[in-house]
Amino acid sequence: MMPDANGIALEARDLRKAFGGVHAVDGCSFAVPRGKICGLIGPNGSGKTTTFNLLTGLAQPDGGQVLHDGVDIAGLKPYRIFRRGITRTFQITRVFREMTVLENMLSVTGLAVPDRVARERAGELIALVNLTHLRGEYGGRLSYGQQKLLEFARALMTDPDVILLDEPAAGVNRTLLQQLLEQIHRLQETGKTILIVEHDMNVIMNHCERIFVMDYGVKIAEGPPSEIQGNERVIEAYFGRRQSGVVHAG
Amino acid sequence: MTQREHLRNLALLGLLALGLLALPQGLSVYLTSFALFTMMYVVLALSWNIISGFTGYTSFGHVAFYGIGAYACAILVVDHGWSWVTTLFAGALVAGLVAVAIGYPVLRLKGPYFAIAMLGMAEGTRVVATVWDGLTHGGLGISFPSVENSTSTYYAMLVLMLITIAVAYLVAHSRFGIRLNAIREDEVAAEALGINVTRYKLLAFVLSAVFPAAAGGIQAYKVLYIEPQAVFFVQITIAMALMSMLGGKGTVIGPVIGAVLLYTAQELTWVNFPTAHLIAYGLFIIVVARFMPRGLIGFAIDRGWVRKGMVH
Repeated sequence: MMPDANGIALEARDLRKAFGGVHAVDGCSFAVPRGKICGLIGPNGSGKTTTFNLLTGLAQPDGGQVLHDGVDIAGLKPYRIFRRGITRTFQITRVFREMTVLENMLSVTGLAVPDRVARERAGELIALVNLTHLRGEYGGRLSYGQQKLLEFARALMTDPDVILLDEPAAGVNRTLLQQLLEQIHRLQETGKTILIVEHDMNVIMNHCERIFVMDYGVKIAEGPPSEIQGNERVIEAYFGRRQSGVVHAG
Repeated sequence: MTQREHLRNLALLGLLALGLLALPQGLSVYLTSFALFTMMYVVLALSWNIISGFTGYTSFGHVAFYGIGAYACAILVVDHGWSWVTTLFAGALVAGLVAVAIGYPVLRLKGPYFAIAMLGMAEGTRVVATVWDGLTHGGLGISFPSVENSTSTYYAMLVLMLITIAVAYLVAHSRFGIRLNAIREDEVAAEALGINVTRYKLLAFVLSAVFPAAAGGIQAYKVLYIEPQAVFFVQITIAMALMSMLGGKGTVIGPVIGAVLLYTAQELTWVNFPTAHLIAYGLFIIVVARFMPRGLIGFAIDRGWVRKGMVH
C-alpha cells in the first residue's frame, strides 16, 4: 500500500493503559500528520512516556488502537513495530554501554543488509552527530549529551518513517541541542514524521507545527503553538485552576 | 576488525593447530591427557561465554549439556554398539534440542532467576540420570569396554576445540554477535531497535549447548566410565564461568586464556599441594574478582593495550 503523502502517519485511538489502579493513559486519541514535527506535552505523570511505550510496543495497551498507515499495530512486539519503520529514543538514554559507538550503530541493522552497507550508513550518521572521533569508544563513556546524540543517530540507522523522541533536549547543552534540532528539521525535509515529548517549551513552541497536550492520561488540547500557549485548559493543567484552593480537580 | 587482522588470526589458529597436531608424538601419556583436558576446558569456557558472556545470561547449569553428551556417548556405544565418533553428533543434537525446550521458557527469566533456573535444570538432569535405570543404568554408571583411546580422543578434542574457537570467533565479529551484545547491555532497547530477542537468545543458547555435549562425549570415551555425580558435577559449571571471567568474558581470546591458565594452575596446585589446592583456588578467585573484575582482557582494554569493541 502506498502511504498517503498528506495523510496520517501515526494515530492513537482511545488508547488505555492502567498500572494497578492508576490509569496512566485513559482513552487518549490523537493523529500525527505525515511529514510534520509534532509535540506531545503535559505535566509530569500525565502519561506521555506511557503513550510512547504503547505506540512502540514496549507496553501492551489495555484497550484502543494504534494505527500506522491505517494498520492497527497495537500489541505487536516492539521489534515488529520497529521493522515497520517506527523508531524511538528514550527519556533516560539507553545506549549500549559496553559496546563502542560503532557497535551501537551496527546492532540496529538487520542481518539481511550487507556489512559494507551497514558500515557506510553508520559512518555517515556518526559523522552527522559529530562523534566520529569517538567511534571506537564505549557508549557508556560518552557524556550524557553525546549519548543522546548517539541514541538519535542509532534510531536513524534503518531510515525510519516515524521517529519518536522522548525528551531529546534534556541534559544536552545549547550547542549540541542546536545541532540536534537542525537534524530534526532536515529529517522533516526528507518527509519523515517526528513526534517529540519535551519539557523544554522553547523547543516545543519554536519547532513543532502541531502540539498535543496530555493531562491525567487524556488529550486535553491540540493545535498549533500559538493556540496552545493561550489555551485555558493547558495553563490550568500546568499551573492549576485560577479559583483558589482547587488544583487539578477532575 | 580489518581483513588483515582476520587473516593474521586465522594464521595464528593454523599455527596452534599444527603445533597441537604434532604434540602427542613428543609427550607422555600423562601430558597428552593433560593437554586434552585443557582443550576440553577451552571448549567449555568458550561455549559458556556465548550465552553468558556475549548475551549476558549467566548460566549456572551448563554442565547439564556436558552430562547429556557424556550419557549419549556411553549409552549409544555400550548399549547400542554405535561408533563413538557418531555419538558425539548425536549428543550435540540431543543437547541442542534440550536447549530449545529448556531455553524457550527459561530465557524469559533475567539475571539471578535465570542462573538459578539453570542450576535447577542441571540438578534435574542429574537426578534423571540417577533414577532412570532403564536408560542410564542409574547411579552405578556405565563402563565402556577397555580400548586404546589416548590418541583418538586427543585428536577428537583438538578438532572440537578448533571448531569451537572458529564458531566463537565468527559470532563475536559478526553483526549477529553485536546483536547478542546489545541484548546483554539492554534487552528492552535491543527489542525496541528491531532485534527479535527471543530468537537471538535461543540461537545463542543452542550454540552454547552443542559443543559442551560433544566435549562430554569425548571425555566419557576417554575415561571409559561415567556416573551421574561425575558428569553432572556442579564444579564443572563453576569452572566454565571462572575461566571465562578470568580471561575476560564477552571476548574470544579471554575464555581461551582463562581455561589454559586456570586448568594449569589447578593441576599444578593439585599435584604439589594436595591439601591446600582448594584454598589456593579460592584465593585466586577472590584476587581476580577484586582486581580484575572484567578479566585479563578487560584489564588490558582499560590500559589501552587492546582496542575496545569487537568490530572496528
